[in-house]
Parts: sequence; structure tokens; C-alpha cells
Amino acid sequence: MDYSKQIREIAAKLFADRKIDMFVGYRMNGFDDNQVPVVITDPEEVSALVFTEKSVFNLSNYLKADHTRNKRVGLVVKGCDSRSLNLLLTESQVKRDKLYIVGIACEGVVDDKGQKMQNCMECVVPDAVVFDEMLGTPQGKKEYMVNSDIKALAEKGLVERREYFEEIFENCIRCNACRHSCPLCYCAKCCIDQETASLYNGSNTASSAFHALMTWSLHLAGRCVDCRNCEKACPSHLPLHLLHKQNEKVIFDNFQNHLAGVEEGERGALYKYSLKDPDDFIM
Amino acid sequence: MSFSTFVTDKAGLQKLYEAIISKHETYAPVEKFGKYDYKKVSSLKECDPDSPIAMTMSVKPLFFPRSAKIMKYEANSAGTNILDTDEDLLAGKRVILGVKHCDARGLQVLEAVNKWDYVDNDFLKRRANTVIFSTRCDKADTHCFCTSLDYDVENLDALDVAMVNGTNGKIYVQARTEKGDVFLKENASALSSANGGASAEMKKQYEAFAASFRLKMEYKEINEKMSKRFDSPAFEEASRNCVSCNTCAFICPTCHCFKISDEKIKDTGVRYKSYDSCNNVYFTLEAGGHNPRPAKYRRWRQRSMHKFVYYKERFGVNLCVGCGHCAISCPVNISIFEVVNHVAATPVESS
Amino acid sequence: MEAEVKDKIVSIEKPELVAPPDWKPVIMGILCNWCSYAGSDLTGTSRTQYPPNIRIIRVPCSSRVDPWFIIKALQTTADGVLISGCHPGDCHYISGNYYARRRFLVTRELLKMVGFHEHRVQFSWVSAAEGAKFAQVVKKVTEDVVKLGPLHLYKKENFNK
Repeated sequence: MDYSKQIREIAAKLFADRKIDMFVGYRMNGFDDNQVPVVITDPEEVSALVFTEKSVFNLSNYLKADHTRNKRVGLVVKGCDSRSLNLLLTESQVKRDKLYIVGIACEGVVDDKGQKMQNCMECVVPDAVVFDEMLGTPQGKKEYMVNSDIKALAEKGLVERREYFEEIFENCIRCNACRHSCPLCYCAKCCIDQETASLYNGSNTASSAFHALMTWSLHLAGRCVDCRNCEKACPSHLPLHLLHKQNEKVIFDNFQNHLAGVEEGERGALYKYSLKDPDDFIM
Repeated sequence: MSFSTFVTDKAGLQKLYEAIISKHETYAPVEKFGKYDYKKVSSLKECDPDSPIAMTMSVKPLFFPRSAKIMKYEANSAGTNILDTDEDLLAGKRVILGVKHCDARGLQVLEAVNKWDYVDNDFLKRRANTVIFSTRCDKADTHCFCTSLDYDVENLDALDVAMVNGTNGKIYVQARTEKGDVFLKENASALSSANGGASAEMKKQYEAFAASFRLKMEYKEINEKMSKRFDSPAFEEASRNCVSCNTCAFICPTCHCFKISDEKIKDTGVRYKSYDSCNNVYFTLEAGGHNPRPAKYRRWRQRSMHKFVYYKERFGVNLCVGCGHCAISCPVNISIFEVVNHVAATPVESS
Repeated sequence: MEAEVKDKIVSIEKPELVAPPDWKPVIMGILCNWCSYAGSDLTGTSRTQYPPNIRIIRVPCSSRVDPWFIIKALQTTADGVLISGCHPGDCHYISGNYYARRRFLVTRELLKMVGFHEHRVQFSWVSAAEGAKFAQVVKKVTEDVVKLGPLHLYKKENFNK
């Protein structure tokens, strides 16, 4: 999968036609075959753009107001990236007419060791769902499969699961990199950081990590697209996907096979309802 | 001043570690989810003091905790009582194994700011009560550049006991401070003294190590150039893909910004001093709403200038120690080395 | 009719922790103003007894309940949480409880996965006329939580009961 040449041409033309102020893509990191995001404002730098199976980071993160407020932006999005972008559009965080979206029919990306990422192996929507132009041949939606780690966890007993997650929460250092890398975490001030409302304000224990990570995951439920930006950002390498994939599974199984951000204008699962939603668990 | 040098091999080193762990409170790199962090250990099986250099968190939290209770209070009708916090669990005599040279240098660099306008006795006491054993750094990682900066890596005395690989499986265990010397004499009696050939072998190892660096910079030139380039537009270009996430400051061996916050329940509370990051959007947000550095490039400028110019001006030592942790852990792999070189290469703005 | 603790009760998520002999569970009840809260009022005026272990918080609608409230309740004094709203179709705000029931399911399943027993957080639809049902619901939740033992997971330290 290599669309480097096409992307350079597209970006060059957009700059030449003065249709964008900046282009967000990937470039080589300069010393090995891994890539990093790059935000280009100078047409001369377009030659640095690349796109291969090493283009991992979800670039729609840069559409948060912090980074590109009021600018016209061209960017490259894979299937999952375009779904988070779709949600940002639906949630009025970015205007469609300020974007030029290059969609990719993604064949999956690999981590820095060259292994295909788990979320790509379980991918349901590989093709970009919103775009101004598409590169690659669309493969169509694939069948949903339950995340293998979630399946394994479901077999374990209560105490075993409790011990496993306690270890995860113990190792969180509350750096908040997960929130900042997530494209859908755009609250100006996170509720967890509101001193009067949050239970924690400065301590760093398993309980404060539980407080932050559980609330974060539940606020993201029905909106998470499994791009793994959070997990890649975590300096403690916590398996954050376990929380998000569990929510995704419950939502997919119970709420009409809903997946976040697939249809244009569609809100997250917890912002919709059906009269047929299950409630036999409610007395 | 030279201190004792011993020689051993891998098996002897394991025995030494086991002896230390059984006699002293020991911290060592413990692997969790593919990442090493320093935790208290009670047996050699739990840890890996020779952990791979790239995957380790800094040892700084053992001296400057990620979150420290500094005060407890209780209010009642008679007034407010300030109570002592719990005993400082990090203050006892202890040994830390497997510390990278750059990391130890970070602690040495931090001594200056901890003895400045406010003397932080907690930090200094922990430093005085700890014996630090190094890792055996044989070659540079992708992002480190310790040999380019302003400190002598070869003879570093920021750590107490250095371990250097020799030829034919020999491992040299060399005390670098008086504290380390005394410790080895008391605890490493099973090791044999190194002979005269030791210093030549250690020098050879250092030369091979120094030659393995991908990243090298002319430090004095960079420091001088940076100090004249406060207004450079290069900061804006270099910081564009930063996501202001706090990771770099939290894992850096020398970042020391903190915030004071209270956690209270009704009339009792605890005051914490916890890590903060100057890259955070709301860093030093003032009551009344004013944000001193709302623009991302200003925060990045502050960070790089502090690391390479301001601290050196004030305390005489460079704050960045060239460990490369920030670049490895950054979600978008921004390297301060690249930023600083990029800025230094631009022409001086004349305002 | 207080829920008393007899014999040895352990915390089900951490069986090594034994409840003290005088332990009584604390249930946090979050009730919607128009149906469940009014229903609980009816229970009271009808003089129907129910366990006093429940502490009631009134919200305008069950959809006001952010999953964060449940997390905060579990991390402070609560050993169990009960959230109650209007029956589907009867919400005073038309559709609040439809959103709420989606949120409840996701929250409960996530808490289950990380190691909370599923009876720690329970939900009910209680209308303003169902005073008797409210008493039954509280009785069931309290009995369930008594069997589960005290909750000692991720509690905020220094939180005095």
C-alpha cells in the first residue's frame, strides 16, 4: 500500500490552487522506516509526504480547535480516521467546507516492529467513509468480530479480572496523553480535572487512574473508532483498548449493530435510542 | 580522586545483586506491559537490572514523586489544624539498580534547583540516602545524545557505582563516589579487585560506545545560538505536530514543574504536589482566566529554551541530559534534539 | 427491618477481606423526580417498610445520570448503587429514559469486566404509583449487596464513612 506519490501531487495542487492553508499527512521520521505526522504550511515541504502501511497515527486528532482553528486543512484519512472525522463533523467541532479530505481504502497498518496492528486485523470499515477523493480500491465493509483479548477476559473469573485490571490501573501515571491523542476528546477542560467535581486532584494511585480511565472510556462509548492513538501514546503501554473494545462489543451486540461514525451526520450510539433497546436487566 | 574498581562476570553480578536485594531496600527496573519502571523488589526474579536501555522510565519519581502529600488539614469549629502527612516512604537508606547514566546525571542536575531559593530537603535527603548502580550502556539508542552535552559521561559521578563491560565477559564494577566506595567495600567483598588493565579496557568500551551515536550536536554552539533565537519562527514550525499531552515532561529525568492541589472531603483534606507540564494548555492558568502561554509554539519555545539555555545560564549546567526518553514516548515522536537543531540553524530575527 | 450482617461476610471481589461484624451496606439511590422519587414518597406515606440502608439523591430525569456519578458513588461510601427512572414511554421529558437505558447497559457491562460484581449497580423502572414496588426493589438490592459484602475496590482514601 503506497500512495506517497498521489498524495504529494494532491497536496501540491491544493496549495497551488490556494484551496488550503495547511496539509496534515505523514513523513518519514528521518532515521528508520517509521513515520510521524507532519503539518505542512509551505508548498516546498510537500515532497516529504508519504503514505504506506507505516502511516499509523490518526490524523483527525489535528482537527481539534487547539491545532487548526479556522484554518483550511487538507488531510489524509484511513477508514478508522475518517470515522472519527465524521463524528467531529457531526458534533460541530470542524466545518466540512474548511476541509479537503483524501480518503484511503486502507489495507491495514503495522506497528514499529512491522507487525500488523490488532485493530487492523479486526477492522470492519477499512475504506474512508467521508472524502473529497479516494485513493485505492474500496474493499467494502467486513464482518464484525469480537476483539480476541475481550473474548479471553470474558472466560476469566471475577477475582482474576479484578486483579488484572488493578495492575493496569496501578501503572497509570496520569499523564493524560491518551486524552490528548484521542481525536474525540476535545472538551476544553476535562470533567476529571474540574477541581470541584472530580474526586481526585493531584493524587496518582490506582483509584485515581480508575476514576479517570473509566469515566473517559464511558464518555467515549459509542464514539470510539479503535484507532489506537491512545494506546500508542501511553508511556506505560497500558492496554487501553480493552475498555473501549468492551464498550464497542456491548453497543454492537445490543444497539442494532451500531459502529461509531460510519454514516454521515450520525451521532454516537449513546446519543440515540431505539424503542426496542433491551431492558430486561432493569427491574 | 579514584575509588576502587572490582571485576566480576555475569554470574558474579547476579550474586551481587541477590546479596544487595536480600540486605537492603532495593529498587530495580520491573517490566510491565513491555515497559520498565523502577519498583521496590524483594528478589532478583522480579526485576531486570540490566533492562534494555530504550524501555525504561526515569528514576526521577523515586526522588521527586509523581504525587506527594505535603500537608493534611482538618477544620472544625475551633479552627483549622495542620497535620503531619504520613511517613516518607522514600526517605530510608536504599539502593537503586539499573540506572542509566543520563538518568543519574538528571538527578545531579536537579540538585541545583533543589538548593536554590527554596531548599527541598526531601529531595536532598533521598539523594543522600540512596546508592545508585548504573546499567551497562554499550551502545546508543535511536534518540539519545548524552556524549554531545556538557558532562563527562565516561567518568560520571552522578551515580555511585558504575558498571562497564570489559572484554571476554568481564564486568567492571567501579565506585564513582565516596558513598559508592564505602558501599562496595561493605557489600561486594565477594568480588575481586580489578588489575591494572582495567582502565584501558574501560576506555576502549567507552570509545566504542561514543562512536555508536546516531545523534551528535556541537553543544556550545547550539547553546549560544539558541540564546539569540528567542524570536525565531522556527519554534512555530517545529511544534506544529505536538499534541500538548504532558508525556515528555512526565518521563523526562530533569523536568521538575509541579502543581499544588487540594483534595478535600467536607472539612478534611490533603494537599498534593504533583507533576505538571509546561506543554499543557492550562499550565500556570491564572485565577481570573489569563493564560500566559495559550499558543502551542510559545510553550514549546519555553520548554526548549529552559532545557538548553535558561537553566545553564542560572545554574551552570544544561538541563537536558540527552536521554531521548521524550522522543521515544512522544505520541508523534517529536525529538527535542531535532527542534533545537532546527531553531539553531535559522537566521537570527532582527526585530 | 434493618439488613443485618450475620456470620462471616467477605468482599466478593476481594475474598481476603472480611467485613467487620457491625458492617451495614450503604446503597446510593439515584431516583428521577417525576416517577421514582414520587414512588418512593408513596412508599413512605403508605407506611411500607424498606431497608434504611439506601441514601436517596433526586435528579430531574434518569438520563441526568452520567456514568461518572456511578463511578463516584462506588469510589466513595457506596457498596451498591440503585438507579431508578420512569417506565419507557412515560418519561416526563419524553425520551430521557431511552437514552438512560443504553447508558446503563454499557456502564454495567464495563464495570463487570474490570472486576465489579454485576449486582453492585442495579436499575429499576418505578412509577409514581408503584410505592410497593419501590420497597421491593430496595429490599432486593440491599439483600444482594449484603451477600456481596463491602466494596473495597478503588475507594478514595481518607473518605470517612
